[in-house]
Amino acid sequence: FSHVLCLLNMMTHQELVSCVGWTTAEELYSCSDDHQIVKWNLLTSETSQIVKLPDDIYPIDLHWFPKSLGIKKQTQAESFVLTSSDGKFHLISKLGRVEKSVEAHCGAVLAGRWNYEGTALVTVGEDGQIKIWSKTGMLRSTLAQQGTPVYSVAWGPDSEKVLYTAGKQLIIKPLQPNAKVLQWKAHDGIILKVDWNSVNDLILSAGEDCKYKVWDSYGRPLYNSQPHEHPITSVAWAPDGELFAVGSFHTLRLCDKTGWSYTLEKPNTGSIFNIAWSVDGTQIAGACGNGHVVFAHVVEQRWEWKNFQVTLTKRRTMQVRNVLNDAVDLLEFRDRVIKASLNYAHLVVSTSLQCYVFSTKNWNTPLIFDLKEGTVSLILQAERHFLLVDGGGIYLYSYEGRFISSPKFPGMRTDILNAQTVSLSNDTIAIKNKADEKIIFLFEASTGKPLGDGKLLSHKNEILEIALDQKGLTNDRKVAFIDKNRDLYITSVKRFGKEEQIIKLGTMVHTLAWSDTCNILCGLQDTRFTVWYYPNTVYVDRDILSKTLYERDASEFSKNPHIVSFVGNQITIRKADGSLVHLSISPYPPILHEYVSSSKWEDAVRLCRFVKEQTLWACLAAMAVANRDMTTAEIAYAAIGEIDKVQYINSIKNLPSKESQMAHILMFSGNIQEAEVVLLQAGLVYQAIQININLYNWERALELAVKYKTHVDTVLAYRQKFLETFGKQETNKRYLQYAEGLQIDWEKIKAKIEMEITKEQERSSTSQSNQSVGLKL
Amino acid sequence: AGFFAAMAKDILGEAGLHFDELNKLRVLDPEVTQQTIELKEECKDFVDKIGQFQKIVGGLIELVDQLAKAAENEKMKAIGARNLLKSIAKQREAQQQQLQALIAEKKMQLERYRVEYEALCKVEAEQNEFIDQFIFQK
Repeated sequence: FSHVLCLLNMMTHQELVSCVGWTTAEELYSCSDDHQIVKWNLLTSETSQIVKLPDDIYPIDLHWFPKSLGIKKQTQAESFVLTSSDGKFHLISKLGRVEKSVEAHCGAVLAGRWNYEGTALVTVGEDGQIKIWSKTGMLRSTLAQQGTPVYSVAWGPDSEKVLYTAGKQLIIKPLQPNAKVLQWKAHDGIILKVDWNSVNDLILSAGEDCKYKVWDSYGRPLYNSQPHEHPITSVAWAPDGELFAVGSFHTLRLCDKTGWSYTLEKPNTGSIFNIAWSVDGTQIAGACGNGHVVFAHVVEQRWEWKNFQVTLTKRRTMQVRNVLNDAVDLLEFRDRVIKASLNYAHLVVSTSLQCYVFSTKNWNTPLIFDLKEGTVSLILQAERHFLLVDGGGIYLYSYEGRFISSPKFPGMRTDILNAQTVSLSNDTIAIKNKADEKIIFLFEASTGKPLGDGKLLSHKNEILEIALDQKGLTNDRKVAFIDKNRDLYITSVKRFGKEEQIIKLGTMVHTLAWSDTCNILCGLQDTRFTVWYYPNTVYVDRDILSKTLYERDASEFSKNPHIVSFVGNQITIRKADGSLVHLSISPYPPILHEYVSSSKWEDAVRLCRFVKEQTLWACLAAMAVANRDMTTAEIAYAAIGEIDKVQYINSIKNLPSKESQMAHILMFSGNIQEAEVVLLQAGLVYQAIQININLYNWERALELAVKYKTHVDTVLAYRQKFLETFGKQETNKRYLQYAEGLQIDWEKIKAKIEMEITKEQERSSTSQSNQSVGLKL
Repeated sequence: AGFFAAMAKDILGEAGLHFDELNKLRVLDPEVTQQTIELKEECKDFVDKIGQFQKIVGGLIELVDQLAKAAENEKMKAIGARNLLKSIAKQREAQQQQLQALIAEKKMQLERYRVEYEALCKVEAEQNEFIDQFIFQK
């Protein structure tokens, strides 16, 4: 189902193979009970013995020292750790020289893993101990000790925690002493293997109960497999965290990260004790009980966009099918295809050395450029450009192949970025900070510099998933995100000047997506599928947000569905069992968006009249207010029966000056402070005071009056009237202070107000006439 | 003369000397000699016969041995075949299990395709309905 494993079974060892490890995408080391370490070159299909270990060393686990991050020259691992049955671990160079053998455990050392930075090694043994070692093999600490053997161990994504097995239990223990230990019963049999992916932060476990399971890092179960015929002996995450492989007796399975299985193979291998993914995530190798090493590469991946369907048929060949006319094109590549992305009428393919950009209009002449570093781990597309992420950095290219920018931030680790933590739009790049997950970095796409004054977007909770909207002006760019509590928020990416609030849009949101053609947001909220036709409504008129929504029951999607794409008005959702479900929403809101973005208000109103839907009218109302088109707003609000708002808009229309109108439109959207600022800047102090009085914002009204030394009596008069109406006594100290000895004369006050209004009218009429004069000249 | 001859014989016989038919002097009584020779002949015959018998018996034994070996071989073969038969049944079972697993996998895929197909049918119906409505409204 869009991923298939192509198998190759090879044999050189006399005894069972216990472990395998890749150095590059084409070179593998395997260790066997026949004491040999063998190197496999897949390009030449040659094997060579690296070293023959002494007869008393039976290798158990092998792990290559991680590539140093950021050092580009060092493109492959130089040494590895090998654990053995005699209680030692050995540091062995690429050429097979045993640099160091360290007495580590009593009984066999069952697993050894380097952390992501290569600064520490963890080993676990039959003696039930978990030990941390330095890079050179000096004992740092014994992290934990238990009565049962520890069969497998894995580092957490931040290298701060270690996950290990304890019989049927899984334990996550932070390196920091006294930190909280997480422990849970994971299987009904002894757990044999675990793995923890650094990109998606998910945990895999497999055991003698013949099941494999997927957990999140809090130990919550996400997937629980059917029992197999034999114990599951190995599990391994692909580096990008999108897939994982499962090995058992005569069994090799490829699964999606959500647990459902893409494909099952039954090779003649015996038990597969260890599985290793190549660095580029296109191939796996399995250590087999019958002395074989099984190789498999992933093909038949499929990408779909509108009427095009692209399939990776072979490692270097893609087939493009145009569903409309059944035309088929074959795309041949010089090297192995590693990643591809099809969106916005372009297919971007990265091979081990190059990047190909195809336009859907012309499949024959791709644009080709060389890559800086081989392995692209992520491709993201926007309408104008696309983003490549590799081990060394983030690079933005135009579809013409021109390099645009390369955003950087302190502590950047590109190997853990994925489509949930990076988002791209035509003008902005948003990246979730891994070190502090409450923060989102924002970059200007054209320069790669931090957006605006470099202020970060910070939220009160850890953020899980981010998505930028794709259309509209840079100033209105919005980012939607889901936090740890599964609440959906929206905010503007504009972080300078007046900071826009982070506003909550929904709760229990599992997944979200923006449409590629207009700023419509959709998400799965608990058991409902929700479409926010105009999410910006929250900044304009939050009251009518619920009227701009489209909701339908989504219980049919069961647990943990994921939105794969939102193209035009078509939404594709992948259910937890792997099946794709297509939904289409009404085509009218996208059309409305289009009219509004080109200021065709009359067309927009006509469309709404034609469709006769409340939702559409509500969207139009919000859009009109956001664009300060009060005539359209009035019509739209009238159509959805918001009479109070129609009246208010009418009153705005009758206001004497532009500034006042502006301020009241801002007030309409709830931006009181901004409204006040507008009035004060225009010198309309009385009007500023008046809006505060109208809002019963007494403190501020008096403060302004005192500050500008005007209308103090007006404020006091209104206050007194208010107190009288509600039958209250003055308690506010400041009011008491100013009220002392002041006689309220309503006649005088009214005259003053009258004067202010005429003044405003005169002023605006002169400024208007000035303007018209200016135009005439 | 005969008398003298017989006399002489007796006398010689007493001295342990005898004459044979060719009147040659002999230490042994010619009769005994005759019998001895006959015995010797008979013994030789006997030895020859025994030898022949032994040869025949040896051949027989060899043959029987060969037969035994062949029988043993066949027996082993039979046992092997029987075991093979048993294990083939097991192998078939394993193969069947494998195929069953593969079938289950394909069934799951089919189910996914079915769900997708149904969803697409629904979309198609919705779109048709929309088109009808649109035309009708115009």
